Amino acid sequence: MRHSIAIVSLVLFVLSMALLLTLAKQAYIPRKEVRDLAKIYLNTTYNPWNKKFTAMSPEGVTAIVWDYRGLDTVFETAVFYLAIIGSIALARGIGKYSKPTSDEKKLGLSLIVKTVTRITTVSIIAVAVSIALHGHLTPGGGFQGGATAAVAPLLILIAFSQYFLLERGVSKDLMLVIRSLGLAGIGLTAIAAYFIGVAMNKYAFVLQNQAKPLSEVSIPAYIDGQLISGTLWFFNISEFFAVMAGFTIVLILLVIPERAFKSSGGEEK
Amino acid sequence: MIDPQIIVLGMAALAALVSVIATYLAILEKNLVRAVVFSAIQSTLYAFLYYVLMAPDIVLVYIPVAVGLYPAVVLILISKTEKEEKV
Repeated sequence: MRHSIAIVSLVLFVLSMALLLTLAKQAYIPRKEVRDLAKIYLNTTYNPWNKKFTAMSPEGVTAIVWDYRGLDTVFETAVFYLAIIGSIALARGIGKYSKPTSDEKKLGLSLIVKTVTRITTVSIIAVAVSIALHGHLTPGGGFQGGATAAVAPLLILIAFSQYFLLERGVSKDLMLVIRSLGLAGIGLTAIAAYFIGVAMNKYAFVLQNQAKPLSEVSIPAYIDGQLISGTLWFFNISEFFAVMAGFTIVLILLVIPERAFKSSGGEEK
Repeated sequence: MIDPQIIVLGMAALAALVSVIATYLAILEKNLVRAVVFSAIQSTLYAFLYYVLMAPDIVLVYIPVAVGLYPAVVLILISKTEKEEKV
């Protein structure tokens, strides 16, 4: 009874706030400057006729995230990197633990779940790679693709038990290597224009994508006629691997069987 | 004939309203597993809302994180502690 009264009053509160906002909306009209800002972004995000002011990417969000405000995104990736480092530090000292039984069929969930997981894992990886590789053309990008790909190891860890991945070589250390390679890729892409500028004896910015009036260095926007939007494609691929491996590390650390680990004496590596 | 846009926006408003109720139930629920399910319902409705509000980039990151990873991670953590919340 108390629940339903609370829910009804909550719904009434939300509805009255919605009515208030609807009435207030009629008095407030966005100023013209706001629309001009949107116009600038729409005019410059993909504009091959204005080569000095364009990101050469039809996907506005990816262009803003990795080109217009690229440094912010690099720092976001650094924050994510530090968060994963923190979780690895919390799980330090946990070494190898023995498998309870050698029969793999007894581990994990039932055969139905395992069969469904076998099918869905492949499609999840395919969708994730497509989201990441088309990030500069359609909605999506490196982080979106990486987060989607991380669902696949999660399903395998739960449906097949954590020993399935470890025995096939997908360990925390391998994921750390992949993640570090992804981050190195982001760093190298960020300073790629600078090194091209050094080679051509021209000025260039860090995190530069296409040519600007002050610096004429630009990363090629097309490879063999295919639009890759300069740095955006490389950023997306590197971010995909960094995020996917980062999430997988956290999941592998979370499913460590603490009781089995402690009962076996908790030997350190 | 009703304007299709009105129907879609009405469904979005309904989803927003139901998500508020789901959030309330998730906070009050003492059984932690059921609380995670309520939270996942709220996440699913939010994913629909982001799609209607024309933010496909957010939808693509919200579905794996809030519908896939977050409930699963919290369920793994609950399996390592107790099922009921004690006040």
